[in-house]
Amino acid sequence: MECCGPGYASPAEAMKAPREKLLYTIAIYTGTGIQKPDYLCTIDADPESPTYSQVIHRLEMPGIGDELHHMGWNACSSCHDDASMSRRYLIVPGVRSSNLHIVDTIDPRAPQLHKVVEGAEIKARTDLSAPHTVHCLGSEIIISMLGDAKGEAPGGYLHLDKDFNIVGRWERSMGDIPFGYDFWYQPRHNVMASSEWAAPNTFMPGFDLEEVGHLKYGRRIHLWDFEKREPKQTFYLGEDGLIPLEVRFHHDPDSTHGFCGAALSANIIHWWKDGAGDWQWEKIIDVENEPHPEWPIPVPGVISVILISMDDRFLYFCNWLHGDIRQYNIEDPHNPVLTGQVWMGGLLDRAPEVNGVRVTGGPQMIQLSLDGKRLYVTTSLFSTWDNQFYPEIRTNGGCMLMVNCDTETGGMEIDPGFVVDFGKEPNGPSRCHETRYPGGDCTSDIWV
Amino acid sequence: MTSRTITLANRGGATYSVDARRPLLDTLREQGVDLPYGCKYGGCITCAARLTDGQIDQRRQVALNNRQIANGYIILCVARPLTDCTLEIGVDSHGKLYRNPFADPLEPHELKADIATPKEA
Ligand code: FES
Repeated sequence: MECCGPGYASPAEAMKAPREKLLYTIAIYTGTGIQKPDYLCTIDADPESPTYSQVIHRLEMPGIGDELHHMGWNACSSCHDDASMSRRYLIVPGVRSSNLHIVDTIDPRAPQLHKVVEGAEIKARTDLSAPHTVHCLGSEIIISMLGDAKGEAPGGYLHLDKDFNIVGRWERSMGDIPFGYDFWYQPRHNVMASSEWAAPNTFMPGFDLEEVGHLKYGRRIHLWDFEKREPKQTFYLGEDGLIPLEVRFHHDPDSTHGFCGAALSANIIHWWKDGAGDWQWEKIIDVENEPHPEWPIPVPGVISVILISMDDRFLYFCNWLHGDIRQYNIEDPHNPVLTGQVWMGGLLDRAPEVNGVRVTGGPQMIQLSLDGKRLYVTTSLFSTWDNQFYPEIRTNGGCMLMVNCDTETGGMEIDPGFVVDFGKEPNGPSRCHETRYPGGDCTSDIWV
Repeated sequence: MTSRTITLANRGGATYSVDARRPLLDTLREQGVDLPYGCKYGGCITCAARLTDGQIDQRRQVALNNRQIANGYIILCVARPLTDCTLEIGVDSHGKLYRNPFADPLEPHELKADIATPKEA
C-alpha cells in the first residue's frame, strides 16, 4: 500500500530509500572571533554532480551568537500514516541564545527561514533555556532544554505544536532528575530514556574536569513513563557512566534494547527489559584512557556521539579526543564485537591529515545513510570545548569527511574522494557540527 | 546618569562614555562596538573580555572560574563599571581564557566560586 505521510513504514523500508543526495549541516562562528551568524549548509552528496563534496548553499541565522548545535525534523516516520504531515521543516535551535529557527526545506537545495521562536519568549513562558535534542511526537514536537531561564539545571522539555507555537512544558514532572541532555523514546513500550550533561552555566563556559568530582556533571540514565510524562526509574551509573550523552533505542519499535555513550568514562552502556519485565543495564564497551607524554592526566576517549544503523546491527561511536571512530557489531547486544576503526585528527596525533586537509578537532558528530553504507563525520564539538582542546580550530576551521562502511562483515574506510574543508568558507574558518538528510537518516526516525 | 570612560586597548585605545548602571555589553554595542555574545545572562562566557585597569561589578556572572577571574576576565553582559576602565575585547583577548584540563588542571582555589576551597597559606 502506498502511504502518503512522511518517512517509511518500517526500518526495513527506510533502508531501501534512494541514496541521500543532499546533506544539511550546521556551521558556527560563535566563539571563533568572526562576528557573523551561524548558518545551515546544504552540502552536495551526489557523486554524479559537478559540485559533489561542496557547500552549495548557506542559510545564515538572523543574529549572532546562537551556537547552532543539534536539530530535528518537524515530522518523521512516526507520522507515516498521516497524509497531512510532511518532513519539510527543520527545527534548528541555538544552545546559547535559546532561539529556535524553523527552516523550510521546500526547496531542498536552498532552505529558507520560516520563522524564529525567540529564546526570550521561551524563557518567559516556560522558564526553560538551552535547547538540545528535537524529536517529533506524532505531529507535535518536544525539545530537551538543558536549563531554566537562568541557565541552572535541570531544565525540562519544551512542547511545540505542529505550527511551532509554544504549548508549554511537556513533562508533568522532572522527578529528582538533576540534569538533562538527550532523549529517545520507544512508544510500544511506553518508555523514554534521557541522559545527563550538566547545567548550561556549567558546560557552556568550557569543561573544568574538576567539576565532575563536585557532581556538576551527570552520571545517570532515566527511564520515563512516556504517556504519563514523568520519570519512572533511574540507572545510577557512577564512575562507569560519567557524562552520559547520546541515547539511542534500537530502530525496531518492538525492541527494548537501548544504548548510551558515557563521554568521560568512555564507556557504552546498554539497557533492556528482561524476561521478568524489569529494566537492566550493563557496561558493554570500555575505551581505555591514553597517557599523553606531557600531561599529568591521561586522556579519555570522550565518546561524544553514538549511532545505530537502521537494521540495528552496527553501533558507531567517536572518541573525540583520541581521534577514532569505531564500528561494533551488536547483533548480540550484550557482546559487541569491534569490526571497524578509522582515525582522523584527535589529540594522539594518529591521523593529523586526511584527504589533503589538516584535521583540527576529532571525529565528533556522525550521521549514517539509511542503507548503512556512508557515515558522514564532522569535527567540532562545542565552541568553548573546541577552544580548550583544539585551539587551532580558530584558524583551521572544522571539516567533514565520509567513511564507507561494510554492512556485510563490518569494516570502515575513509572515502578518499569526499572532504568539505570548513577552513575555506567565504566568511572565514567555521566549525561544522550535526548533519541531517532531507529523506530521513539514522537519528531522526522513530516508529510508533 | 553617572558615566564612566571605557578605553579599548586592543581597538587603538578608542574611548567610550557609558552609563555606570548598565552592562558594558549593551552600552558598548549601542555605540557600535562589535562584541561577541550568546546567553546575555552571564552564564556562557561568549562575551568575556579582559579588564586591564579599573574596577567592575560582575556579581551576577556564573561563567568564570577563579583562575579566569585572577587572569582579569570579566563577563560584559553583566559587568557594570565602578570606575573608568581599560579593556581588551573580543576573541583576541581570550588567550588565557581556555585551557586543556588534562594538560593544566586547576588548583582547588581556582575552581568556580561556589565550589572553590580557600588557598592554603
Ligand atoms: S553572553 Fe553569555 S555570558 Fe555574556
